[in-house]
Amino acid sequence: MDKVTVLFTPDNVAVQVEPGTSLLQAAGLAGISLVSSCGGDGTCGRCLVKVEDGHVRVAETGNLSKKAKQSGLVLACQSFVESNVVIGIPSMSRLTEHQVLLDENQLMEEDIGTDEGFFFRPLCRVVELTLSPPTLAENVADWERLQTALRNVIDCSDIRISLPVLRRLPELLRTDDWRVTVIVAQMNDCAEVVDIAAGHVQKELNLYGLAIDIGTTTVAINLIDLKSGLPVGQKGSYNRQASFGDDVISRIIHASEASGGLPELQSAVISTINDLVAELLQLSNIDAHDVRMVTVAGNTTMTHLFLGLSPKYIRLEPYIPLAASTPAVRASELGLNINPAAYVVCFPSVASYVGGDIVAGTLVTNLAQEERIILLIDIGTNGEMVLGNKDWLVTAACSAGPAFEGGGITFGMRAMKGAIDKIKVDPATFDVQVSTVGRCKAQGICGSGLINCLATLRAVGIIDRTGKLQTDLSTPRLRQGDDGWEFVLVYGNDTAHGRDIVITEHDIKNLMRAKAAVYAGIRSMLQAVQLTEDMIDCVLIAGGFGNCLNIRDAITIGLLPDLPTEKYRFIGNSSLKGARLALISQQAWQEAQLLGSKMTYLELSAGNEFMDEFMSALFLPHTDMTRFPSVTNLK
Amino acid sequence: MAFSAMKEKYSSQVHTVVLGATKEEGGTRDYTITVGGEGALPFLHFEGEVPHRPVVALEVWDVVPEWHESLAPYFGDVYNDPAAWAKKCVMEYNADLVVLRLKGADPDVADASPEDCAKVVKDVLAAVGCPLIVLGCGNPEKDSKVLPAVAEATSGEKLLIGVADQENYKSITAACIVHNHNIIAGSPIDINICKQLNILITEMNLPADRIVIDPTTAALGYGLEYGYSIMERARIGALQGDKMLAMPIICNVGHEVWRSKEANASSEDYPAWGDQANRSILWEATTAAALLQAGANILIMRHPKALALVKQNIEELMVPTSFDD
Repeated sequence: MDKVTVLFTPDNVAVQVEPGTSLLQAAGLAGISLVSSCGGDGTCGRCLVKVEDGHVRVAETGNLSKKAKQSGLVLACQSFVESNVVIGIPSMSRLTEHQVLLDENQLMEEDIGTDEGFFFRPLCRVVELTLSPPTLAENVADWERLQTALRNVIDCSDIRISLPVLRRLPELLRTDDWRVTVIVAQMNDCAEVVDIAAGHVQKELNLYGLAIDIGTTTVAINLIDLKSGLPVGQKGSYNRQASFGDDVISRIIHASEASGGLPELQSAVISTINDLVAELLQLSNIDAHDVRMVTVAGNTTMTHLFLGLSPKYIRLEPYIPLAASTPAVRASELGLNINPAAYVVCFPSVASYVGGDIVAGTLVTNLAQEERIILLIDIGTNGEMVLGNKDWLVTAACSAGPAFEGGGITFGMRAMKGAIDKIKVDPATFDVQVSTVGRCKAQGICGSGLINCLATLRAVGIIDRTGKLQTDLSTPRLRQGDDGWEFVLVYGNDTAHGRDIVITEHDIKNLMRAKAAVYAGIRSMLQAVQLTEDMIDCVLIAGGFGNCLNIRDAITIGLLPDLPTEKYRFIGNSSLKGARLALISQQAWQEAQLLGSKMTYLELSAGNEFMDEFMSALFLPHTDMTRFPSVTNLK
Repeated sequence: MAFSAMKEKYSSQVHTVVLGATKEEGGTRDYTITVGGEGALPFLHFEGEVPHRPVVALEVWDVVPEWHESLAPYFGDVYNDPAAWAKKCVMEYNADLVVLRLKGADPDVADASPEDCAKVVKDVLAAVGCPLIVLGCGNPEKDSKVLPAVAEATSGEKLLIGVADQENYKSITAACIVHNHNIIAGSPIDINICKQLNILITEMNLPADRIVIDPTTAALGYGLEYGYSIMERARIGALQGDKMLAMPIICNVGHEVWRSKEANASSEDYPAWGDQANRSILWEATTAAALLQAGANILIMRHPKALALVKQNIEELMVPTSFDD
């Protein structure tokens, strides 16, 4: 059959596709990423597009409202091209400019390396050497001669070299009277001479590395000058894998069940990284060839997908990853557009749901050197946590679901422009004022906004402690919607898309489950080590929320333990920081390897403890109100 | 060698709830009944006080019930007259108190108006001097209209009104506060919801000592053990100081047992099961006996003979055992 043309507006991008291709796939081919939380199952109702001209075959309309159908909206994943069509993409369906947590304030010029007690010694560095020239009596071969000289400088006996470099060795050694500058990559107990230049030219040589945090939702990259250890630039964007589902589970399903799913996911994340790197390099005018070392921190599934390893058994009981620690690979093997011989190393994972990102976070927060008892929580789709100090470390993961990242919430969205991050409700009239990210017209609600929303609605009595909307209140904002009772946060005339932004009772229940899972995880972990909440000296909050999260709100809804707010600290994207630290310190990288095996993993799905805790946490703030004295006293 | 019993020490006890109000107290009852107050697990007199014995109630309906024919000889003559029925329960069958179930309010039964329901309640109150428990029809929407009307019409009587659940607790609680009644807080065999509902109700400012919890039970052979373990957890929680689990417990025994096959199947169909009449009585009494051990304070019974057996059981269990002499 002949190919047909799909023209996307307002981008005005046309692609030729086989008839029968879904609009979601077509958009992907056109380089347009649509929101698709369910990964193309037709269930999330996010990939709405408008058929402006022509006709498509609609297999499913899912939960689309009548109004939406009448206005010509279809689900891109469930609509298939049969002839030439023109498709309009509403802004709400588009994955756009993403607010990725990069920690501009916190990360940039911090003196990592000294603060944490790790020496500055990058995984890849430049070394100037002066070799003693050979004589008739001292007739060691060139390569062995170089090795001997190197051993005096680096603390490693196993030194290797690649064939192409070896071939160039003899002339380079002799060009400037046995003075050379070598670039050495060194990890663990093995070093490799990756490049050689004649003469002492350290100053002229450029050497860069990348620290990458691959999150389920976002990818963030630091470009680091490995000679100084200082960041040159940073960039982040959404993980292009998002088009295949919001959470790790839907990605794993796609990777293991769809044909070609695994390479598709791998290339999605590689292309995300490549685009970011290209931008970074262009901005700072750096040659891709000079980027020779990459450290990657990601959750277990992300690490698997990045390396093209099958994550299939992570999802199936008893939840076994393919590898906890993975070998160093070459950039060319992954298709990264940097020096093809550059080494790429990934942080080791602890278990299926506690990955390298958590190891990196533990590394950079120096948890394993602390006297005090520290709780590190990364509240993302998967709430991972680490508890302990220098003597012991336990870790667990609780599946909080994507609610805090906007998934499964009617108007949930990530913290992009137009996301409501705070609301104010008049207790008498129930009128609502909202503030949004970027101070523009509201488009949806982001995680911290949802938490604030829950706390605020409870405070003014719009919901009770079970999360039920109090339908007997007299306000037109409370009404029966398509999905049961809902509360209008912003009326359509003040929103970016013209639709009323509501929070439904169903959304509230989803959020309650998410917050209950996180709190239950913390409790289960504390109980496993027989500690009480007040014995925690410090709680470090990492991950997507960043500084947006209001601790008071989080305690009010029972997401976080009722500790003095001074005990809480935001550490931002600790995964990226850890990756950067390891990139510039061999000692830190070695410590990371150890940490991975030092942490005791608690499987929360074994036993009833977690479930009991979870059930009693499904209340605002908690069924056991004595655990939240500061909240109860407020009343 | 002298035997010394290991004793569990508890820091707290079950709340007491007073059912009914006499003339001096603003009602019309001849006497009141106090339930709860235990400072130990059921009947472990040597570990703590069990100040008030569990009480048994008999069911009265406002419409002719479609009950098993074996109950007709006991109540058939009064099925049409709730007041006379209630009187019979107390005078003839020695029920401690009466449960009036307003089944007729159910839109699918007689759709009786709230006013009509209130009138039946007043008739029953006039007929007997014991405290009264009033149960709605089970339709949450209708109950939230009927029960407040009943509460208003009987203001000050300290009825025990229910069942309030997470959906309709607000209107029933408000009515109980204003008109000085007690409330039954019902939860579906779920300790968390049980506790949450108590929190919600007390936060509306109904004191904890005016709440009785219905944790939902099942008949013997139909999941009794689930209800049992929930009740046990609630009791242990109460004794350890959890005020929001410390309410006396009511169990709707007759209703559950008489839904079971074992209570209803005829002797002809199941000769090996023995005589239906005896079997049903024993099934009801055995279920009740188990629930007493789990911590029940009020048992709603259906068959007078089962009630008699349970009363006897309670008398025996209330004789203190002591290891102190």
